[in-house]
Amino acid sequence: MELGRLEYLQALVTEFQVTDSTGNKRRCSVALTMSSVSSHSRPFSLAEAKEQVLANLANFAYDPSNYEYLRQLQVLDLFLDMLTEDNETLVEFAMGGLCNLCLDKTNKEYILEANGVEPIINCLSSSNEETVVSAVTTLMFLTTPRSRAQTTALPVVECMLRFSLSANTRLSNLASIFLQDYCSPLQVEEARNLSKHTAVGIPLPKD
Amino acid sequence: KMAAGSSGGPGAPCRHHAQLGACESRAKYREGWRPRAVKVYTINLESRYVLIQGVPALGVMKELVEQFALYGAIEEYHALDEYPAEQFTEVYLIKFKKLQCARVAKKKMDERSFFGSLLHVCYAPEFETVQETREKLQDRRKYIAKATNQRDCFVLKKVEGPKKTASENSEHDCPWSTSGSSIVSNWDPSCFTSSPGVSHNTAYLSGNQNQSPLTSSHYDNNCAEISGYFGQNTSLTPSVHPGGHTPPASLMQQRMVPACNGIDRFMPRTTHLQERKRKREEGNKFSLIGTTEDNTEVVIGPQLPEIPKVDMDDESLNTSATLIRNKLKEVADSVSTSVEKPESSSAKPLVKQRRRI
Repeated sequence: MELGRLEYLQALVTEFQVTDSTGNKRRCSVALTMSSVSSHSRPFSLAEAKEQVLANLANFAYDPSNYEYLRQLQVLDLFLDMLTEDNETLVEFAMGGLCNLCLDKTNKEYILEANGVEPIINCLSSSNEETVVSAVTTLMFLTTPRSRAQTTALPVVECMLRFSLSANTRLSNLASIFLQDYCSPLQVEEARNLSKHTAVGIPLPKD
Repeated sequence: KMAAGSSGGPGAPCRHHAQLGACESRAKYREGWRPRAVKVYTINLESRYVLIQGVPALGVMKELVEQFALYGAIEEYHALDEYPAEQFTEVYLIKFKKLQCARVAKKKMDERSFFGSLLHVCYAPEFETVQETREKLQDRRKYIAKATNQRDCFVLKKVEGPKKTASENSEHDCPWSTSGSSIVSNWDPSCFTSSPGVSHNTAYLSGNQNQSPLTSSHYDNNCAEISGYFGQNTSLTPSVHPGGHTPPASLMQQRMVPACNGIDRFMPRTTHLQERKRKREEGNKFSLIGTTEDNTEVVIGPQLPEIPKVDMDDESLNTSATLIRNKLKEVADSVSTSVEKPESSSAKPLVKQRRRI
C-alpha cells in the first residue's frame, strides 16, 4: 500500500472529522488548525475549507485505484451524509463524488445497503444543475434488478419525464437515457398518466 | 445560468463553461503550483466536445485545428458564431473521436497562449446527442468493470438496435435482468483480461496493483478544479514526473494523460520503468547462464552480463539506445585493447564498464 497517498487522503478526511469528548468520531465537523492553513491574503470560511476537501475527495472518487482507500476512510458515508447539508456546494460535490464511484460493485452495494437511494432521489429537486445531473446518472448507475423498484419508482420516472423535456441538453439527454434504458414502457406510460392529472411530483430545478 | 427552464440550447453559454476564479484559501499541504479553482469532475461534465474561447479573430481556424489535432483524431470542428465572445476573439467547437483525447487536449491547451491570446478550453457536453451521452456512460461502465475486475450484475437493455416496438418490450417484464434474452451486454469479454489494446485514460491496472504508487486522474489542470490526484504522462511529450512516494503537495500536480494511441496500453511511467527493469533482468538472467549463438563454443561458467539490450518500446528511443550501446561497445573495445599491460601488480582483470543510460 502506498503510504503517501493514504496519508494524504487521511489528512483530507481528518479535516472532516473530530473526535468528541466521549472519544467518538463525529463526522462532518472540520478540525482545521491554523497551521494547516496557508497564509493568504483574504479571509476564508470554514465552509470553503470543507468544500475544498470534499471536492478533493470527490475527484479522487473518479479513480478506481482509490476506492479501497476511500472505503477504509469511510468516505462513502461522508458523501451520503453531505447530501443533507444546507450548503448547496457541499451537496453538489458529494453528489459528484457518489456519481464518480458508484459504478464499482462494492461501492454500489454499500450505497444501496446504506439506504443511499433516498437522499439521492431528493437531490433531483435541487436547484443546482450539477447536483441534479449527478443524481440522475447515479440513479442509473445504482439500478440493479433488486434496487430498480426504488430507483425507478413512479415519482422518479415522472420527474425524468419532465427532465426529458428540458431545454438543458445535458439534463434532457440523461433523463431520456433513464427512461429508455432503465424504465419499462409501462412505467413511462404510468408516469405520463400521473402527470396529466396531478401536480404532485419532484419539482424541476429552478432557473 | 443554465437551468431546466432556460431557452438556451447548445451553444448558449452554460455555467460549466465559466472559468471560475482561482481558489485562494487552499491549505498549504494541498497547494499545487498553479492557482486552481474548486470543481468536481464527473463523467457528465466530460465530453468529446470541447469549447475553445479566446481564439484571436485572425483567421487562424486551420492552425487551431492543427494544434488540437496533435492530441487525437478530430471528428468535427466549427466556429460558434452565436456564442458570446470577447472583442476580437472567436469561439470554436471541436469534437474529438475519443474522450481521452479531449481530456488531454483540454489539459494541454487550456490557458495556453495561441497567437497572442489566452485560450480557455472546456468540455461542452451539451452538444452531445442522446446516443453519444449513452455511449459515454457505457464506456465509463466498461472502464470501471475492467479496472476493478468486476462484472456488473446489471446489464443494460439492448441499446444499439432500433427502438423496439411496444409489443416486443412487453414480452419481458424486466428486460434488464441478467436472464433476459433481450439483453445485450456491450462489453467486450476481453475487457476482463489484462490484454493490451485497451486504452483508457486512467489505465491504472487494478486495485490490486500495490506496486505503482501512482494513481491516474481524470481531471484537468487549472481553470477550475482541485487536483485530487496524480497521473502519468505518456503522451506526445514524455516528460519526467516524480515517481515513487510523492509527498502530498505534489499530489496536487496536474493530471497527466496518456497519448491517444488507441492501440497502446497505457501504463504509468514507473510501471514502464519496472517493466523494462524486469525485462532487463530477465535478459541478464539468461546471459549469465546463457547460451552462445555459436553453439560450437563451449561455455564454461557464467557469461559476463552483456550490456543489457533495453527495449524502450519506442522506435526513436530504441534507435538512440542502439547508437549509444554501439558507441559504448566501441569505447569499451578500444579501452580493452589499449590497456594490454597490467596497470598494477594486483593485475585485476578488466571489468566491463556498465554505463547507465
